Amino acid sequence: MPECQHQWEMTHIEFGFLVFEKCSQPYSLRTYFSTKGHPVIGEKYRDGNSDWTVMENAQSFLFDLKCKRCEHKEDFRKIMGFMHCTGCLPDCEVEIMQKRFELQKKWIVVAFGFLPKKEQDSIPIEKLRILEDYFNQRRDTSRSTIAVLSYDLIEDFSRCKGDFIHDVGMLSLEPPGEKKSPF
Amino acid sequence: MKIKNIKDILDAEVIVGDDKLDIDVKHIYASDLMSDVLAFGEPNSILLTGLASQQAIISAHMAEFDGVVLIRGKKTKDGSEKFARDKQIVLLSTQLDMYDACVRIGLADNKQIILNSEKLAFPVKNNIILSHEFSVDGNDFTNAGMASTEVKAVLKKIGLDPVLIRRVAISTYESEMNVVMHAKRGTVKLSVTPKFIQVIIEDVGKGIPDIKMAMQEGYTTATEEMRAMGFGSGMGLPNIKKNSDELDLSSEVGKGTCLRLKFFI
Amino acid sequence: MTTKELIENLNLKPLSKFDHREIKGVFVSDMLSDVMAGAKSGDIWVTVQTHKSVIPAANLVDVSAVIITSNKQVPQDTIELASKHSIALLWTELPTFEFVGKLYALGLMTT
Repeated sequence: MPECQHQWEMTHIEFGFLVFEKCSQPYSLRTYFSTKGHPVIGEKYRDGNSDWTVMENAQSFLFDLKCKRCEHKEDFRKIMGFMHCTGCLPDCEVEIMQKRFELQKKWIVVAFGFLPKKEQDSIPIEKLRILEDYFNQRRDTSRSTIAVLSYDLIEDFSRCKGDFIHDVGMLSLEPPGEKKSPF
Repeated sequence: MKIKNIKDILDAEVIVGDDKLDIDVKHIYASDLMSDVLAFGEPNSILLTGLASQQAIISAHMAEFDGVVLIRGKKTKDGSEKFARDKQIVLLSTQLDMYDACVRIGLADNKQIILNSEKLAFPVKNNIILSHEFSVDGNDFTNAGMASTEVKAVLKKIGLDPVLIRRVAISTYESEMNVVMHAKRGTVKLSVTPKFIQVIIEDVGKGIPDIKMAMQEGYTTATEEMRAMGFGSGMGLPNIKKNSDELDLSSEVGKGTCLRLKFFI
Repeated sequence: MTTKELIENLNLKPLSKFDHREIKGVFVSDMLSDVMAGAKSGDIWVTVQTHKSVIPAANLVDVSAVIITSNKQVPQDTIELASKHSIALLWTELPTFEFVGKLYALGLMTT
């Protein structure tokens, strides 16, 4: 039986909050998704031997992808979100690839898993390809295409100043100003 | 417009504020950015938003809004309901998305949108996008015709075909006159859907004993007095039938009459 | 309707450099997450958000235009990023609710 050429659509969409927390000593970042209430930015608490601070609280969502034709589902619950590279570090792998792909009118987004990133948390290549297919199936690829890179390429999150594609500051009563990196 | 109208137009669920639906609101504010709501929102407004969070309710409260409608079927999960209850903010939720919600309210409010009658391409499916109700007092010949005048004005404002409006106006007027002449009191309910206009004229009164007779041209039960005023020529129901696309008349003697009219757009 | 016709009909101010496209529908939201989950290719995206991260979101969804409402000041870096991606960044002084009315009067539908 011929393989299905999957036509992807988002499914099982769950809206909620993406929380970024930072520990200074030793430096560590962690993120998690929550559908319930949300911690307040700047809130500090102790967990074991470490002091954690809530750095960011973003409106975001989790999703899976499903094939419209054969109903085959792919789990993407481990994808925290997508980041747009702002080219803050010229020697970063992501920025190097971004500059190269730009010439081919290929725009990149970086898929992130939740932090802290452990060895086994690399995003499988097949998942990245499926995400790329999903985005490219929704556009006229003769104009431009999307390439999905993995957060594996980022050496040091603490120096990354990329823009996450989610909603920050929606809960703020102050007018939106410059976005600060959650790292 | 009343919050109740907004609830009906948006097919919304009431999460908080069942007892406050009669409030009249002046403005609609569509935004997910709460700092804007605070900076530019005006008191006595309804907030349409996709931000399902307590901050949306807090912002609405600080801006002195009367209520919040969450769009896209969103619900809050963070204690917002309690806050809304405490601060007396009405909280509704609709499955519609922002564009459809704004369009429906705008049309119903009929000051916001003037349509080109040739391009009547409604984005919503076969649902009521606009509804109004008017009351009619029996035997009040001074105000007779007010309801149909309003119906005509509403339809004119949304830019429907003038010939269609005329048919609806005439049918509604004749029906309204029947209520004034023969019933104690009644209501005229106007509904506009993408496919048709519906007018339901329902009354409390003596009812029609013989509908077949009543539909005959020239047959009338009008009094001398009424005929002296120029009414009751017996052409009412036949005229309504002529001008409408579908007519359904039901009546119970001693109780009242219900006339349903449909006009296809 | 094309972006060119939309601009002319509604007196929108083009802010970026772009190619005109056919408009397929409309999506109104200030939340990037809602747009990512709900907007469709060819939609015009109506928002008050002016931060440059609007552009990668617009790009991923492949909108035909981003329309900034409510008389907002749009930062230069947002405009530049839009031009770089050839995304139509348009501007109106009307608030979102009133602007939707005008879109509807032109016959625009959600997809």
